[in-house]
Amino acid sequence: MKRKHRLTICLLILLVIIPVFISGCWDSIELNKLSIISGLGWDIDADTGQLTLTFQSIIPSEIKSAAGSSGDVGQKRGDPLHTIQLDSSTGSSAYDALNRYSQQSSRRTFYQHTQLYVFGHSAAEKGIYPLLDSIARNPVNRPNVLMAVAEKKASDTLSVEAGMENIQAIGMAAQIKLSAEYSKFPVVTYLEFAQRLLSETTAPLAPMVGIIEQTGPEGDRVQKTRISATAVFKGDKMIGQLNEDESRGLLWAINKIKKGFLVIPGANLEIVSAKSKIVPELQDDKIMITIAIDEESNLLEYDGHQEISSDLLQDLEKGQAREIESQVMAAVEKSRALNADVFGFGEAVHRKYKKEWRDLKARWDEIYPYIEIVVKVKTHVNEIGEINRSLN
Amino acid sequence: MPGFLFKKLHFKKILNHEQKKSAGQYSSSVSLSQNLEENLRVLREALGSSSDVIIRDMKISSDSNIDAAVVYIDGLVDRALLNHDILRPLMFNLQLIKDNLSHNHKSLIDYIKSSVLTVGQITVVQDIDRVIARVLTGHTAILTEGATRALLIDAKGWETRRIEEPKNELSIRGSKESFTETLRTNTALLRRKIRDPRLTFESLQIGERSKTDVSIAYVQGITPDNLIEEIKQRLQRIDTDIILDVSYLEQFIEDSPSSLFPTVGSSERPDVVAARILEGRAAILVDGSPMALTVPFLFIEGFQNPDDYYARPFFAALVRWVRLLGYLLSIYLPGIFVSLKTFHPELFPTQLLVSVAAAREGLPLPVVLEALLMLLLFEILREAGLRMPRSLGQAVSIVGALVIGQAAVSAGLVGAPMVIVIATTAIASFLVILFAEPGALYRFIMTLAGGLLGLFGIVLVSIEMLSHLASLRSLGVAYLSPVTPLNIRGLRDTFIRAPLWAMDSRPVSLDSPNTRRQSSGQMPRPPKSSSQQGDTQ
Repeated sequence: MKRKHRLTICLLILLVIIPVFISGCWDSIELNKLSIISGLGWDIDADTGQLTLTFQSIIPSEIKSAAGSSGDVGQKRGDPLHTIQLDSSTGSSAYDALNRYSQQSSRRTFYQHTQLYVFGHSAAEKGIYPLLDSIARNPVNRPNVLMAVAEKKASDTLSVEAGMENIQAIGMAAQIKLSAEYSKFPVVTYLEFAQRLLSETTAPLAPMVGIIEQTGPEGDRVQKTRISATAVFKGDKMIGQLNEDESRGLLWAINKIKKGFLVIPGANLEIVSAKSKIVPELQDDKIMITIAIDEESNLLEYDGHQEISSDLLQDLEKGQAREIESQVMAAVEKSRALNADVFGFGEAVHRKYKKEWRDLKARWDEIYPYIEIVVKVKTHVNEIGEINRSLN
Repeated sequence: MPGFLFKKLHFKKILNHEQKKSAGQYSSSVSLSQNLEENLRVLREALGSSSDVIIRDMKISSDSNIDAAVVYIDGLVDRALLNHDILRPLMFNLQLIKDNLSHNHKSLIDYIKSSVLTVGQITVVQDIDRVIARVLTGHTAILTEGATRALLIDAKGWETRRIEEPKNELSIRGSKESFTETLRTNTALLRRKIRDPRLTFESLQIGERSKTDVSIAYVQGITPDNLIEEIKQRLQRIDTDIILDVSYLEQFIEDSPSSLFPTVGSSERPDVVAARILEGRAAILVDGSPMALTVPFLFIEGFQNPDDYYARPFFAALVRWVRLLGYLLSIYLPGIFVSLKTFHPELFPTQLLVSVAAAREGLPLPVVLEALLMLLLFEILREAGLRMPRSLGQAVSIVGALVIGQAAVSAGLVGAPMVIVIATTAIASFLVILFAEPGALYRFIMTLAGGLLGLFGIVLVSIEMLSHLASLRSLGVAYLSPVTPLNIRGLRDTFIRAPLWAMDSRPVSLDSPNTRRQSSGQMPRPPKSSSQQGDTQ
């Protein structure tokens, strides 16, 4: 009787302990068996239609030597890409390429810290829906990864030297974020891109990254990345791009201006705050959209000879309003030409006129270029600094 | 599970106990006889031929015709006092008194007590067992021919340690005295802090052979009566050979012997013990131990420090948070670090992950083993530093710092972040000394759980730990009170330390019959008249 009792207790203990140990480590991973992917690039060969996947992965041991003992940093300086490794594999589809990658890698890929997705120009023009789908279906991919379109090939863009950052993709992501901070180009995460893609009318956007060449300190040519434009998609295909001014106009309209500079003839202003609102109006089957922008700025630089007075400030405010309006209208013109609703006018109409939308939705492509757009800008110059009279 | 084992062990103990009882030496009580020789024979038999037992024969009374003996243990008696105030009056003064010839043997004892001996504390006993027991505690016994009573004189005197500065519970502003090994000194230290007539020291002797004096200290009307009853019951239940230290008592009276956490508090500072007594607790002092136990003991007491009350409340609150945070760190940090590294690298910020991964390159051991190895090394170093003769201390600390810190990293055995984590943990573990032991155990458990199951395992162990803590009781008081069960008023001395003038009531969870500590509204304010003056000036 007692023996039996003891046996039961032993069995119970084993039942508790064994699962802990056998279930334990099934998904444990040691950091030194991972290859941390910092950036991913997709290129599609226009002729063969083959897809090339470019992995930019971090080489931790190189970062160790760069951050740790200062002795052996010098010899590495000449090597442009010493902290990242570029691998590429080609296949007929995204997962085919990924599959082939396992043949040439010693470590498991780790995507949770990916900073950037770069789509090659040809891939973007061909349509990136299958690529986005391959990202979305894998839970290790995070929705807040930044999207970018390369001016030429994604693999080239990912191989440009990092500049100040020791990991190139982190640097490029920071570059994109800073350009959005100064209200130059939109910053678009994977999630935002997908949301715009899912909307029936709104056109997805992504910043475009180009490569420029500069003269380095030793007279050599040094490549750098540069955000150059905003790529405009229709559906999953890239159909055109907005240049610098048009991109700023777009940001004014979609309320994405944070801070930045505004150059008008004779003066340079710093944007302090800006708000905008898109108000659609439906009259007899005719759509009119008002973009109301409310902006405040500080005076940074004044080129004129006049003493700064309230009249002059009014002039500056008018000049600003004109500049903003012209930027917005440039964006509007471009979007009409591309027939891509980058502003999300369709969504605004949908929200306000639910009943009519069903009818409008089907004809949106026909309607869009002919929508009447009014831009109303209210500006205010806040501070002029301590200098009232111009210095010259 | 541990409880099951304990029960088994306990069963065995009862069997042993029966055997021990029968071996008891002097269980029968014998009265003193009129014959001095007979009495001395019994004493010699009981005390044995030990060399430190002194039986001094003499003849007393005016014509030196009455046999008498002084019995004491050498070394426990103040010799100057014995010679000068006991032996001299007995042998010299008694002979000078001529008019006292009429006395008989019976009243001689009373006469000696009332008129001859010039010492303070004298008791008269009739029991030879009492004589033996008291002589063994350092009393001096006087027996005379023809008397069935003996005098017991308190002339104790032996070498003791002075009152010194506390070694373990340091305080910046507080008093610099700590308990010593002598019970009377310790009670005096408390008495000097609390001059209330209701401060009571209830004495009892525990230990079959050691006969250790134990004192329960409390203030009548502040410490609940049922608490004192319960303590007494638990103390009286103890049946063991020897009580060497208060921790012996602690292990016999604690509520949850199978818990990793202590449910009985202890302190070496008279000011801390006095404060706790006046909060409604009782203290237990043991002769020979420089610590006092205080019960009931609450979890939060481990995070309280005398300096909290001596410093101003704002800083005290900060320090208390630092202690809480430090304790959590000392338990969780290695576990969380290991689980993040092995299961959830995505939870690191990217740049941090890169440097952690960089340090991880080329290390031979899995992270869990690395962490456990470092923790073990630290425990070895700590224990070595604690036990080793003081003159070797430097060698160990140098070797330890080099082995753990430098060599392990530069040899590529251990990553630098792991060394930082373990070092932080080690330092944090010294913040809360009272819970350092359960902290060290849980640190190992957490690390193992984090390495085997990731954050899931850490959450599991945390649930176990929290529910265990919530189930603990210390003499009927919930261990986690006043946090759970929640008591808003009690929180004034938990996560913050309210100003002294705001803590009007004693801790409610202790259930003191006298709840008010002081009158309310004592916040210092400038006097009204002077403030008006200030305005006009």
